[in-house]
Amino acid sequence: MFFRGRHLGTEWLPFLGLLLIGIGRSAGAFEGALRHPVYVGVKVCAQCHDGDAMGNQCSIWARSKHADAYAALSKPEARQIAKLSGVPVPPQQSPLCLGCHATAAEAEPWERDPTFAIQDGVQCEHCHGPGSEYADAAIMMNREQAMKRGLRMPSKEECHSCHAPKGSHDAVLKGQRLDMDAAWEQIKHPTPENAEFRKPSFPEFVASPKEPAFVGAASCAECHEGPDQQDHFSAWKRSRHADAFAVLATAEARAIAAAMGVAGDPRTKLECLKCHTSVYHRPASHVLGTASVYEGVSCEACHGPGSQHAQTYSRPQAAEKNGLLKVNAAVCLSCHENAHGKPFQIPDNLAEASHPIRAREREEEEPQYKTPVNLAVSPDGKELYAACEGSKSVVVVDLGSLRKVAEISVGAQPHDIAFSPDGKTAFVSNRLDDTVSVINTGSRRVTATIPVGDEPHGMVVDRRGAFLYVLNTLSEDISVIDLSTQTEVKRLAAGRGPWSAAISADGNWIACTNVLSHFVPFRTPSRSEVTLIDAREGKVTLRAMVPGANGLRGIAWHPSGDFALFTLNRHKNLVPMTRVVQGWTITNGLGILWRDGRVDQVLLDEPGIAFPDPTDVIVTEDGKHALVTSAASNRVAVVAVDRLLKILESADETERAQVIPNHLGKASEYVLKWIETPICPRGIAIQPGAGRAFVAASLDDRIAVIDLNTFEAAGVVQLGGPQVITKERLGERVFHSAANTFQRQFACSSCHPDGHVEGLTYDIEPDGIGVNPVDNRTLRGILDTAPFKWEGLNPSLSRQCGPRLAVFFTRIHPFTPEELSALDYYICTIPSPPNRHRPVGAELTPAQRRGKEVFYRTMTNDGRLIPMENRCSTCHYPPLYTDRRIHDVGTKMPLDEHGLFDTPQLFNVYNSAPYLHNGIAETLEEIWTRFNPYDQHGVTNDMTKDQLNDLIEYLRTL
Amino acid sequence: MYSRYQYKAIGGPVMRSVSRMRRLLLRSAAVLLLGSWAGVGSAGESTEAQPEPALPALAFGQSVEGVSDEDLPYVYTQWKNYTVADGLPNDHIFSVKAVAEAVWIGTEDGLARLDKKTGRIQCWKEADGLPWRAVTSIDVDPKTGDVWLALFGGGLARFSGGRFDHFHQLNSGLVNDVVYGVAVENNHIWCATTAGASRYDIVTGKWDVFTEKNAPMEEIWNYNVTYAPSVNKVFLAVWGSGCLEFDVPTEKWKVYLDPDKEMEIDLYRDDGIIHVITTSASFADGALWVSAYFGNCRYDGRHWRGFYAHETGLPSDFTNFLKARSANEAWLCTDKGLGVIADYATDTYVAYYRNADNPGGVAKVSRRGRLLREVPLEVSIAHNFIIGVDFDGDDVWVATAHGLSHGTGKGYYSGVKKDADRQKSLAATIQEKATAP
Repeated sequence: MFFRGRHLGTEWLPFLGLLLIGIGRSAGAFEGALRHPVYVGVKVCAQCHDGDAMGNQCSIWARSKHADAYAALSKPEARQIAKLSGVPVPPQQSPLCLGCHATAAEAEPWERDPTFAIQDGVQCEHCHGPGSEYADAAIMMNREQAMKRGLRMPSKEECHSCHAPKGSHDAVLKGQRLDMDAAWEQIKHPTPENAEFRKPSFPEFVASPKEPAFVGAASCAECHEGPDQQDHFSAWKRSRHADAFAVLATAEARAIAAAMGVAGDPRTKLECLKCHTSVYHRPASHVLGTASVYEGVSCEACHGPGSQHAQTYSRPQAAEKNGLLKVNAAVCLSCHENAHGKPFQIPDNLAEASHPIRAREREEEEPQYKTPVNLAVSPDGKELYAACEGSKSVVVVDLGSLRKVAEISVGAQPHDIAFSPDGKTAFVSNRLDDTVSVINTGSRRVTATIPVGDEPHGMVVDRRGAFLYVLNTLSEDISVIDLSTQTEVKRLAAGRGPWSAAISADGNWIACTNVLSHFVPFRTPSRSEVTLIDAREGKVTLRAMVPGANGLRGIAWHPSGDFALFTLNRHKNLVPMTRVVQGWTITNGLGILWRDGRVDQVLLDEPGIAFPDPTDVIVTEDGKHALVTSAASNRVAVVAVDRLLKILESADETERAQVIPNHLGKASEYVLKWIETPICPRGIAIQPGAGRAFVAASLDDRIAVIDLNTFEAAGVVQLGGPQVITKERLGERVFHSAANTFQRQFACSSCHPDGHVEGLTYDIEPDGIGVNPVDNRTLRGILDTAPFKWEGLNPSLSRQCGPRLAVFFTRIHPFTPEELSALDYYICTIPSPPNRHRPVGAELTPAQRRGKEVFYRTMTNDGRLIPMENRCSTCHYPPLYTDRRIHDVGTKMPLDEHGLFDTPQLFNVYNSAPYLHNGIAETLEEIWTRFNPYDQHGVTNDMTKDQLNDLIEYLRTL
Repeated sequence: MYSRYQYKAIGGPVMRSVSRMRRLLLRSAAVLLLGSWAGVGSAGESTEAQPEPALPALAFGQSVEGVSDEDLPYVYTQWKNYTVADGLPNDHIFSVKAVAEAVWIGTEDGLARLDKKTGRIQCWKEADGLPWRAVTSIDVDPKTGDVWLALFGGGLARFSGGRFDHFHQLNSGLVNDVVYGVAVENNHIWCATTAGASRYDIVTGKWDVFTEKNAPMEEIWNYNVTYAPSVNKVFLAVWGSGCLEFDVPTEKWKVYLDPDKEMEIDLYRDDGIIHVITTSASFADGALWVSAYFGNCRYDGRHWRGFYAHETGLPSDFTNFLKARSANEAWLCTDKGLGVIADYATDTYVAYYRNADNPGGVAKVSRRGRLLREVPLEVSIAHNFIIGVDFDGDDVWVATAHGLSHGTGKGYYSGVKKDADRQKSLAATIQEKATAP
């Protein structure tokens, strides 16, 4: 497509596009042998769909905001909206943004013809379907034929797919809602009754052989676009220059032309074209297929034909020698002086169009918080490393002076740290990058980056320093890294959501917590796992089940090696949240994993005083005490281990299994005290031999110091984060705080760890025990997916988090308006992690491509037409893969009062099991193998197994 | 008069009709080409000395010059059998897999693990979490220690750290729940099912299905799958489709079919795989061994060799399963006894039988169909219907229709032995001939 010295063999590539399509049609294409349609681009459509005979359809589009939709993504407002949507990349690179602001964003490169340019925004084919198979005059004259070949004739209703109100847009654009009826009138481009397809008769192009050739604005955009180039292309696209050709189709233009003595269609008159297009404005040797009159006054009108200077753009002097023209007032005045009685003011109008290359004005940067989440003390006890999720760094603290001495940049969202036994190397898990950074502690530099599984969290190095075990929370497995080669040698199956690991003192056993419960039969209590690995063989030897519990996070071995302690939640998700007695919704405590695999559970809650979000635990060197952080209540509990064990030993088996895990009256017997900490304490670590422990106050950018002799707070270490508290930060604090929930029992993060889900189905409403159970849903990237709640009853996040939460969760302490606003703002910024099955820009694999065809299919295997309302893509279309409407897809089950549910968004659907409104489908396959017997949730019962497998492979890429 | 050539039993729906005239013509051709020879009866028939058969000049390996009747293979004489009485969940043993510390046993109703150190047997039935009662095949991932179970009608299960994970055609990409065989290949788990082969990537979670659409399977009823790490290939035994070879690095398929395309007779000896209705394949030391319901065969990359019971001394041609110990030795699980191609180089075979009414039995040593020795066994294998076998160092474990048998291989040696030096010389000679241009 692009010039780079490559001539395409014909000057008028769009016309060639039509010609090729016509040849293809006449060369024997027959009914039934339809090829996969591809996108051809607006310039091809314009060959026929413009001019008076066709109602100037293309010109109407060109003057609309649809044509500027891609360019609009370069605006500062777009960047703000992207941030609110959890989009971590520039909007023009995000499939989420491009899905509505461009055409064919979800298509693969081979599905776009060379004539297609994504920079043309929302083009014809966005609404009318990819045109390669119907863009033929003969076919277009037969509407039925054309529609069989992919032509769509959308209704106003379908505009909803992009134009439905979005919270992110409302927040930034301050309620500039679209009037759909008015907009529909604006974009209407009806075909006249006596329509006639004919190629426009432009004036003859007179070639100047010695001049360079026109390459077209899209070619310029290859380099002159994006934040680093001040979005030059987009700036032009949003200007009136870009509409210069299209305006010639207006009545006003005709009137001006007539007044000038120019009869007929101004679009075909040289007198008009020489100022309203680039192609007729300057001499050039020829016009490459990538250029077009339709782009109006583009770059080359002012800067000269670009085929030669574009190759030397980085060297301005060479570029000038190759035809790059300097732009000054004279260039503008050549057209604008006394043009149609419209004054041209210099410097104002000049400034309006200019786009100099200069350093971009730095937008006000958001403060970058550290957000330390986990800590590790170096083996020699001299330094403390803190994994700082917010700043993508590891902060090094000297434990002698208790001062920060270094900060090392690592990957995105660093989570945990582990040292080699000799202390020379530190490993950092980066949960957004799926990597482990290897740090040379002497030089404090990252020396290597090791790829691991999805979303790595906890890590541990074996005592020999031979292997590193990395817990991949999202892929639910454990990478075993051979440290001599720094390569992964095997992958161990974990539980669901492996989170944290601890190695026993003798080095023989590694115990791993898993934050999600196993899949359990519908309406049965949770069942989580602690995975025990024999470190000598690197194999899993035991999976201890913890009944009734989930949210297993921190873990630590007792120095004796007889047992390990781990934090846990016990969610009462099977009874309505109106039931307050016996711990209400979530109780919090500790689990004890004995060496023989037995598990005990105790609570850290006391009546009326919950211990929400227990996150990490350590055991003192003498084994007498355990310290547990409560991230949602800013406390550390000091537990007397011997008292705790005594309670267990004096109880019988029934009491240990059924009574003690639910006994709110026991904690006071072994919880000696609480130590207040700064905000949101998460990771905790002990400095061996020094009688001190350190706590990462993640939302305070500080590390709290605890004296283990007195169990008192003994100071803080500043990590150097900003002092200002932004709205987002405030919202993050509210999200992680139990201060507002009834009995201070849990925070938002309790059910949404890392902004995601804990995989449970809840009975919330007081409509009967077990009636209308609903599966928890992720908060990642949800802002524009309103309405919320499975029944779709909450139109906004502020309603979801405000009045609704007040009814069931916060009750007597609802959020203040400021807190609610901040909370909603923070939730919106929770990023949706990259899709691991299809990195941005990657092509689909063959299986994924076949699955995409299944997803978009319109016919069954035996040739029956699938009704529009029963096709996957009707309700699940890009970019959000939800139409945000309520549908009945036949998933009503006995405990449901009705079967109408909000269409869930599908991006990253692969990591949000279980599925359906009540979480009854454990895997994507089960949605259709078990729960779609009558083809109400798409037509799937005719599929072969490999077709279903392919469909699943495609869904995993969304 | 003995049959002049080997008729293959008519196979099910793939049976081809052959005209009477064609049969006559073929018979005549066979007589002219192949001559005639005598066959050896199955266990229980007369063991009187048979006349020396006039064997045809067959492919490499058939020359037995310099080998006397005193050159004999190792015979397992120490057998111990396990049944329900010993703690197994069921006597119908479908599969056995020996690892360093234990033996995993798959039965018609449950899974068992025999701890080699303590001798203790631990069982799991459906009530204990086993997803499906019938365990047809077992493989163990050498890296992780996870045990993978093929469940007949129940899909696939992973048993790890005491937890069963169940994969079936409704909750995963497994093509069918009737799984005959399972094999671990690097980070993949292969399943031989009745509706094709499935491959599961344990790292990415991706499922692949192989059927006639994307593999050279004329039929898709996969009976067995095995992985050969030495050549990084996976072999499928497919009912009606011979043996398929999958090259792991290139993901290319190769198929071994019977070139003469005759299912009723072996028209041309050793022209290819012995029959397309294969039941298992096993690769060792450069040789591919394939079992069928109508004989067995071996391929060294250039030459095929078929094995029929009547000309070898093996118990039967109906082979349920086969496992190769080396390029020279393979064990055959037949319906009438346990057969061993004990020494390919000298055409030496051992057949183990159990008496009908007592635990004893006999091991018959033959060379090219001629009985050399009968070794009485005080305790023999548990039953004559053999379903599976596995090697455990020098020991062997045998899955039978009525119990698990453990053969202690004390003093085991490969090949035949009378004079060790002579044996080495013979082996060297054979190898030299094999590699000669």
